[in-house]
Amino acid sequence: MLEVRGLDVFRGATHVLKDVSFNVARGELAALIGANGAGKSTTLLTLSGLLRPRSGLAVMRTEGGEIDLTRASAERIVRAGLIHCPEGRQIFQSLTVAENLAMGAYTRSRREEIAAATAEVHELFPILKERASLPAGSLSGGEQMMLAIGRALLASPKLLLLDEPSLGLAPKVVETIFDVIARLKAQGVTILLIEQNAVMALEIADRAYVMENGRIVLAGAGRELMDNDRVRQSYLGVPL
Amino acid sequence: MSQYLFQQLVNGLSLGSLYALVAIGFSMIYGIVRLINFAHGDLVMIGAFSTLAMIAVGVPWPLILVFVLMIGAVAGMLIESVVFRPIRGAPQVTGFIATLAVSIVIQNSALLLLTGQQRNFVFPAFMRQRVPLGGVSASLTDMVIICLTLLLIAILFFIVYRTRLGTAMRATAENLMAARLMGVSVNRTILAAFAIGSALAAVAGVFWGGKFGQIDPLLGFVPGLKAFVACVIGGVGSLGGAMLGGYILGLAEVLFVGLLPQELSGYRDAFVFLLLIVILLVKPSGLFVRHVEDRA
Repeated sequence: MLEVRGLDVFRGATHVLKDVSFNVARGELAALIGANGAGKSTTLLTLSGLLRPRSGLAVMRTEGGEIDLTRASAERIVRAGLIHCPEGRQIFQSLTVAENLAMGAYTRSRREEIAAATAEVHELFPILKERASLPAGSLSGGEQMMLAIGRALLASPKLLLLDEPSLGLAPKVVETIFDVIARLKAQGVTILLIEQNAVMALEIADRAYVMENGRIVLAGAGRELMDNDRVRQSYLGVPL
Repeated sequence: MSQYLFQQLVNGLSLGSLYALVAIGFSMIYGIVRLINFAHGDLVMIGAFSTLAMIAVGVPWPLILVFVLMIGAVAGMLIESVVFRPIRGAPQVTGFIATLAVSIVIQNSALLLLTGQQRNFVFPAFMRQRVPLGGVSASLTDMVIICLTLLLIAILFFIVYRTRLGTAMRATAENLMAARLMGVSVNRTILAAFAIGSALAAVAGVFWGGKFGQIDPLLGFVPGLKAFVACVIGGVGSLGGAMLGGYILGLAEVLFVGLLPQELSGYRDAFVFLLLIVILLVKPSGLFVRHVEDRA
């Protein structure tokens, strides 16, 4: 579904992504793990069209056709079904919870569909229904994360990019979020997940990539990587 | 209430309406692209002269208002797409200087085209009659300015707070990156902000002409500057603040003239800027903004 080949991305003069290649198959949950500053978020920003690569290829294939993510506008990429739930939640603080969800559905126009999708999100995260008319900035961190994911779901993603959904959240909330991710996967949404919480990510991932200094240094099935010595030492905190 | 006080109040409110119309657009544009647009006042001049041209060819008044809104919107979109879009992402100072350049170009083109001569601008005779309001009376021109402004502001608030476009505009103003990730076309949203803000400024030009009776190609300077002051009073980037700031400024100016001794009333603009300085010292985030949110 997603094919990335030899991607080179610069931010200013800094060479952030170096010859990055990976795949995500339809219906799969892929995890991209690595330390802070390894280039994970840059990868996602490039896929959603907010950063342009210097060279390389990034293509998403859906029933709707093929889209070149290195050239298409951010707007077209969203319309094609690639939805990016960014790091740090980035919800619209001054808008109400309901308005945030409506912004998620910005590219959709059928009212009945939007209403049905909103109802689904409300069922997933009942708190968002309770707080619908409150400004999103008044929500707690965990609730804001739920709102960010709910907002992404309202765009009806075919490929969902999740950037650090567990960052800074209480363990119980992290569990809720991961339950929802598992549920989405069961529903057939293809997911690319970035996590520093490598244990949880590898547990649910079909496939995982390890990124270091802008390069993919390891790839394999989620379980496989969990048993890999290098991963255990660097990311799982297990001494050799 | 005595006729004198009532007259001052109406005067202040109609002057405040003009400032509010200009300030709201100024604030909208700042809110979404972080651009202090010094060419904004020149839309007032464009609105006033377009009206003069339409009066000359005999366009009926209600249509003039509609056309002026459209002319303002088109002029705003043109300025945005020709001048500001190519320099988007450049440092703030670049944008700031570009707005000054646009203002100079518009003013001097107008001077070449229209000469610097003052021109009489007259509303139809019936607009100059006085409306009795239980013991006191006010000029119809002022009443119309006040009422139409309230109507336009109501429409604007409906667009901004109740429509999809308005939600996208507020979202873009708050977090450009997140708005793009929602599939919002940032260029189109910014264009809409310029169109709406400029349309309001152009209508203010019609009112300006009607209220003061004379127009010239440089008339945009004062309302542009006053709109900036109104925004600072109310809090830059906040629409409600800009509106209230406009009314406060209008009323304050009239109050200065009314209260100050005759020989000082010529300095009313000096008092306006004194007010600006005091507010910048005491409450730099504006009277109606609770905290400053600076998006670096």
